[in-house]
Amino acid sequence: MTDKILKVKNGDVAGSVNEFLKELLKSGKVHALLVMQEVPSKKISFPVLISDPGQLNANVFAPVLPVSTASIVSKITKFQAAEKLVGVVMHPCQIRALVELVKLNQASLENIVIIGVDCLGTFPLNIYTDFPEKKIPTQFILDAFKNKSKEAEKYLRSACLVCKDPVPVNADIVLGLYGADIGKEVFVEVCTDAGKKLLDGIKLDSKDVKGRENAVKVVREDKANKRDEFVKKKSSLKGIKVLSEFFDKCVNCHNCMKACPICYCKECLFDSSVFDAEAYKFLRKAESKGLFKMPNDSILFHLGRMNHMILSCVECGLCEQACPSDILLMDVFIPAAESAQKEFDYHPGKDPEEKIPMVVYQEDEYVEVGEA
Amino acid sequence: MVEEKKESKKNEFEPKIVGFLCNWCSYAGADLAGTSRIQYPPNVRIIRVMCSGSVDSVYILRALLEGADGVFVGGCHPGDCHYLDGNYKARRRMVLLRDILDTLGLEQERVWIRWISASEGQQFAETMREMTEAIRKLGPTPITKQWNI
Repeated sequence: MTDKILKVKNGDVAGSVNEFLKELLKSGKVHALLVMQEVPSKKISFPVLISDPGQLNANVFAPVLPVSTASIVSKITKFQAAEKLVGVVMHPCQIRALVELVKLNQASLENIVIIGVDCLGTFPLNIYTDFPEKKIPTQFILDAFKNKSKEAEKYLRSACLVCKDPVPVNADIVLGLYGADIGKEVFVEVCTDAGKKLLDGIKLDSKDVKGRENAVKVVREDKANKRDEFVKKKSSLKGIKVLSEFFDKCVNCHNCMKACPICYCKECLFDSSVFDAEAYKFLRKAESKGLFKMPNDSILFHLGRMNHMILSCVECGLCEQACPSDILLMDVFIPAAESAQKEFDYHPGKDPEEKIPMVVYQEDEYVEVGEA
Repeated sequence: MVEEKKESKKNEFEPKIVGFLCNWCSYAGADLAGTSRIQYPPNVRIIRVMCSGSVDSVYILRALLEGADGVFVGGCHPGDCHYLDGNYKARRRMVLLRDILDTLGLEQERVWIRWISASEGQQFAETMREMTEAIRKLGPTPITKQWNI
């Protein structure tokens, strides 16, 4: 499948990919790019929407995901589809989230060309910005990957440790690391006609790359095993007592909802006044229960949010990253996603044509529900 | 003697059930049960909704977290929905809710969905009897004991 490679100059992976992207912009192949670029302080990479090739300093393999890029594509295309071609460089989990947002009518893929990147995992923001021993995170993770060292794993976000699929699906082209000779080459995989058109006339080297397929298979199997183990280990996190203790530190800030690419509601039910009540109702509850914790709807919030988004959960872990109380949300949400998605045989992010289970039905299904 | 009787009544567990009934079928069925003077337990607190498909699971969860011992959702028979497919969607939602209840650690049997038409007053009364007894057997919701929820 893969037969094109991008040769890395002087071992500078990010710089070489940057040159490639610059070429896409310069040649007018894409009108603009949404891509991770280092902020001026050089502390962190953030998504930028860029049309000036002169200012492009992309770092597509930066092991950090400060915000959901799927939400940003939604922000750009929700009201009006892009009128000129925009290249969006995205992590695999964010492509999955984007596919879900398209299904939810919150984004349009018209004139969007998805450039997926193989993900080696991402670090929490604070670890990324103040990396131990003053190492450069991108270099560190690439080196660790090249040397097959597990050193990077101790810093990875827990969502990344049990990533559902670190190789992009549904991208138009993929910038591949798995199976490549790191520091010397990056695979450029063409997946769709739009991707083919994008690369038309762009100078790339050709190489017979047999190792890619196998390397992808190996990493997918490895991650699937780790995820299975995680689900097995964490599925005991259930029950009223366990769950209420789990959310003990929740301060009801709703950051998890704001960071979640799937939670797209303009006004969340839980931010509205729906559950507001008169003083006597609070007091009556205190009388009947003796006491209750305030604010009183944090478990309802988490379970309600879970009920609304769990079928589309792409397990990017941004909810957990956004939590100021460091609640390990993925411990509860990944097992819940696993069982809910299994129930409906639904795979979020897999097929843009597939309908979300809650908007379709069959007359002769689940007939036992509703019968005595 | 009278005092004693009152006291024992007070200690007996009376299930609190919140019922979401669709305007077109189940609510009319409950109405028929009433107008036909069919007796059924007063444990259900009925909330009229336009369609079983309009009952977001969050409202069911809220009732449960606020201490309801059971939640009943009543809709038109499959194929008879006033809005064509609301009850089919409610049914799917119930399947998803079972998963959430599992995470929460509440028995799935605390949430019922049943199809009751406008002409089935008898059926409604029977279902209420059945559910009240089933919840009575399950006992009070463990939520009430948990003040940090």
